[in-house]
Amino acid sequence: MNVELQVVGSALRAIADEMNAVLVRSAFSANIKERRDCSTALFDEAGRMIAQAESIPVHLGAMPDAVAACLGLAGDLWILNDPYTGGTHLPDVTIVSRTALGYAVSRAHHADVGGIEPASLPAFSRTLAEEGVILEPQVLSDTVAERFVNATRQPDERRGDLRAQLAAHRLAERRVAELCERRGRERVAAAMDELYAYSERMVRAAIARLPDGRRSAEDVVEAVDGDLTVRATVEVAGEEIRIDFTGTSAQDAYNLNCPLAVTKSACYFVVRCLTEPDLPASGGAFAPVTVTAPAGCLVNARPPAAVVAGNTETSSRIVDTVFAAFGAVAQGQGTMNNVALGSDAFTYYETIGGGQGACADADGPSGVHVAMSNTLITPVEALELQYPLRVERWALRRGSAGGGARRGGDGVVRELRVLEDCRLSVLAERRAHAPRGAAGGADGAPGRTLVNGEEQPAKVTRALRAGDLLRIETPGGGGFGPPA
Amino acid sequence: MQSTRVAILGVDVGGTFTDAVLLDGGSVRTAKVPTAARQEDSVVAAARAVGVEAVERFAHGTTVATNALLERCGARTAYVGNAGFEHLLHLRRQTRAHLYRLCEPHPEPLVPLERCHGVRGRLGPDGELEPLDLATLPDLGDAEAAAVCLLHAYRDASHERAVAAELRRRHPGVHVVASHEVAPEFREYERASTTAADAYLAPVAARYLRALAAATGEAGLPEPLVMLSSGGVATVEEAAAHPAAILVSGPAGGVVGAGLVARRAGFENAIAFDMGGTSTDVCLLPGGRAARVAEREVGGFPIRLPTVDIHTVGAGGGSLVRRDAGGAIRVGPESAGAHPGPACYGRGGGPTVTDANLLLGRLPAELPGGLVLDRDAAAAALAGIDSEAVVEVVNAEMLRALRVVSVEQGHDPRDFALVAFGGAGPLHACALAEELGIEAVLVPNAAGVLSALGLVASDERRDRVVSHVRPLAEAGELPREGEADLRYRGQSFELTVPLQDDLAAAFHRAHEERYGYAEPGREIELVAVRTAEVVPGPALELQVTDCYKVEGPRLLELPGSTCWAPAGWSGETNADGTLVLRR
Repeated sequence: MNVELQVVGSALRAIADEMNAVLVRSAFSANIKERRDCSTALFDEAGRMIAQAESIPVHLGAMPDAVAACLGLAGDLWILNDPYTGGTHLPDVTIVSRTALGYAVSRAHHADVGGIEPASLPAFSRTLAEEGVILEPQVLSDTVAERFVNATRQPDERRGDLRAQLAAHRLAERRVAELCERRGRERVAAAMDELYAYSERMVRAAIARLPDGRRSAEDVVEAVDGDLTVRATVEVAGEEIRIDFTGTSAQDAYNLNCPLAVTKSACYFVVRCLTEPDLPASGGAFAPVTVTAPAGCLVNARPPAAVVAGNTETSSRIVDTVFAAFGAVAQGQGTMNNVALGSDAFTYYETIGGGQGACADADGPSGVHVAMSNTLITPVEALELQYPLRVERWALRRGSAGGGARRGGDGVVRELRVLEDCRLSVLAERRAHAPRGAAGGADGAPGRTLVNGEEQPAKVTRALRAGDLLRIETPGGGGFGPPA
Repeated sequence: MQSTRVAILGVDVGGTFTDAVLLDGGSVRTAKVPTAARQEDSVVAAARAVGVEAVERFAHGTTVATNALLERCGARTAYVGNAGFEHLLHLRRQTRAHLYRLCEPHPEPLVPLERCHGVRGRLGPDGELEPLDLATLPDLGDAEAAAVCLLHAYRDASHERAVAAELRRRHPGVHVVASHEVAPEFREYERASTTAADAYLAPVAARYLRALAAATGEAGLPEPLVMLSSGGVATVEEAAAHPAAILVSGPAGGVVGAGLVARRAGFENAIAFDMGGTSTDVCLLPGGRAARVAEREVGGFPIRLPTVDIHTVGAGGGSLVRRDAGGAIRVGPESAGAHPGPACYGRGGGPTVTDANLLLGRLPAELPGGLVLDRDAAAAALAGIDSEAVVEVVNAEMLRALRVVSVEQGHDPRDFALVAFGGAGPLHACALAEELGIEAVLVPNAAGVLSALGLVASDERRDRVVSHVRPLAEAGELPREGEADLRYRGQSFELTVPLQDDLAAAFHRAHEERYGYAEPGREIELVAVRTAEVVPGPALELQVTDCYKVEGPRLLELPGSTCWAPAGWSGETNADGTLVLRR
């Protein structure tokens, strides 16, 4: 690779990283500031992703669709959250802006975007409109921003988050302009081409090292009306991978649905783990990967299907299924254990880690996010200072891991006592079905959700009274290989 | 500058070498000795090499705590948290170690699960929720140290105090540390991690510091002062009591030395650039003093203590060079180390940045120790990888680090001088300065032993932090000097602003500078107030005899390092012996 282009490429990646730091440090939503549920990226003039700062993998494959959706529009600053035109789920608000060369993009999970339940994570939504304000790709004017923030439960906090996102964009605009001035616009454009092509070369070479073949695997998600099937067929042929979801259940009547962009993110995540885990993120890495799914199925839903749990829960299952199709791996907790608490006075959202599945050569870590998320837990002290909540237990769930030659990781136990009347939503998986062990390793323990000691279903939305105790036990990871 | 009649000694222990600088009535003597297994022996050997007579002040930088943490040879340590929160050190913040390597382990916590205990009793943010029950305190078994971290102790330490007192009563031989004694700040994991490291290191650090004081006392030296991560020195007792505060002792000395060199050369703002064999440290020195941060990760553990704001990159002169499958040149993080060393050392090492510099004619044919560099071995190892390209790639890494500490903090690097030190710093500095628009590069005469020089000049420093976490408007009277951590209510990250009359206005300005916007209508929260008691270090006088001029392109051999002045750069040494290069 030409060294000058390599050097300019490193400057482009630094800009994406700096955007992310600005966004995290100046945001107001716990999701963004404490948990870093956000991504930032630079795109080239053709709308190809060149460099991305990623905190969480679910944004990996879904950002290019956001830029594609804005390319044809007038203006130079746009906003969207519509999952069917470039978004993921409604709380993920995406801003796209023009730079001196290409586009800057930020995506951040806002704590509340309206809809029927606080924190915009209802367990029983049946249409997208019930999950919050829908922003189709459009120019971001002051009027649009005000209309959006006023449709949410905490307009002031939303305004703060939007300003933090915009601060990241202003920074990107300044930095890209400086880089073009210093190096010349043509050289920066050439470096963008090269970053894209470089990632593609690296991933093609890695795929070529995988054995060719075609395999299928199946798993289930625990929907409100019963289990739904995710079926993936993975074909490795030379330098390319095709992943198809024919055989997957039709779309859910509730909200486990994924737009295809989320399904692609989950597939890209697996390919990344299996090929070049250390490669800086760029769209070129995914050029050799084709993802298809029948229209109207669970993983390629049609509007106006509800999608809020697809992004967090079904995406986790897609990861498990695609991993399984590539060969035996022990499964991790397979859920993000989404917990939303709120009222007109406050909204709080967190996702909780669990056990990682064991690898062939290593035990699975305990108490971590396992797949499409990697958000931090909010500190107990920060949570108690800011919300009418008290944490009563935050501990490893010992004994929940699957045994084997390599052990899975343990899940965790988290107890939250609510100090005011409020609404609770829990969107979780692996309550009925345990994370599977592999090659003779034992399964992990399934998770449990309890309110005042009473077991709740995998998906629940209900009222809580002041003094009620929520207890979440997250699943353990599966073991690998027969125990010695 | 007031002249000094007494001798001042600084001794810095590094991984490979122990450096000493002695200032005696204006004359400077330096020495470098190999670091022995027992650090106190190297300290005495280095001190003897420069002379120990009439030393009035003796300051010391040490890697004892850092090594004990990284090599896991600290004390058997127990942890006591609230019942229900015993596993905090193992839960961390729940993130996995690598986004795409799913089973990558975090560093094993310093306290194993079977030594993590809970005590009943609970404080909330506004007072007691459940009374403390000391009867539920477990037996600590054969633990040598114990860390106590209870929720909300940053605000109310009463439960922690009672637990620590009871443990000390029951186990007089155990070193007990409570979180409010070492890092009284909110966010329990980071505080617990700091406390655990402090307890884990204390017995080792105390043993070493006692042995050091005995050995240096025997050699006729005064009681040593120990360099803290904050860039100030403290007494042996203070350092032994809280060794988590000396984890960045060595690099802090270098930063202080860089500040000294820059101030004395008449540059108000400087960036310290310390490029060694395996890694590079950079640090911004606005106003000639090191910027500090409230927290730094060491060995994978957050340490919530004031630390010079050093940004470290895993690349240096000894970093290995390779071409990856995509055709890009990669430098580091693997390193050839001291053994076998770069290919040109002729001991079978792989291709490194040093080899590329040799082929470009930027290293002498023979190193000061007598090692003859083997050009053919360097060329063979690089196997056709262009040397210019190697230097450009490693410089890009360095540039990124220099931008992180300057541009990304809202500072224009053109207002700064670059102070280059470490074995490879002066070799790369001019090229980096050109990229950043920096006009002046300072190469200290003591570039190879700058940390020891920093020790000589260091202030005594005691940091204090008081947690508030309340609206700024309700904070009451604040100290006149120091810093405040502030944020808009609802944010999670604080900006640190010097204490002043209109603190709110200063915060809005800082927010505007850093993030491009301010919200004057929004409530401001005061999270913590940081103050430091500083006793200024001695005034120094340096006398240098060998002054010289340089016109680039030119290769210059300095004690312990090599300087490359490219075409277009020229300069001369100042009264301190610092080479001031300009474009």
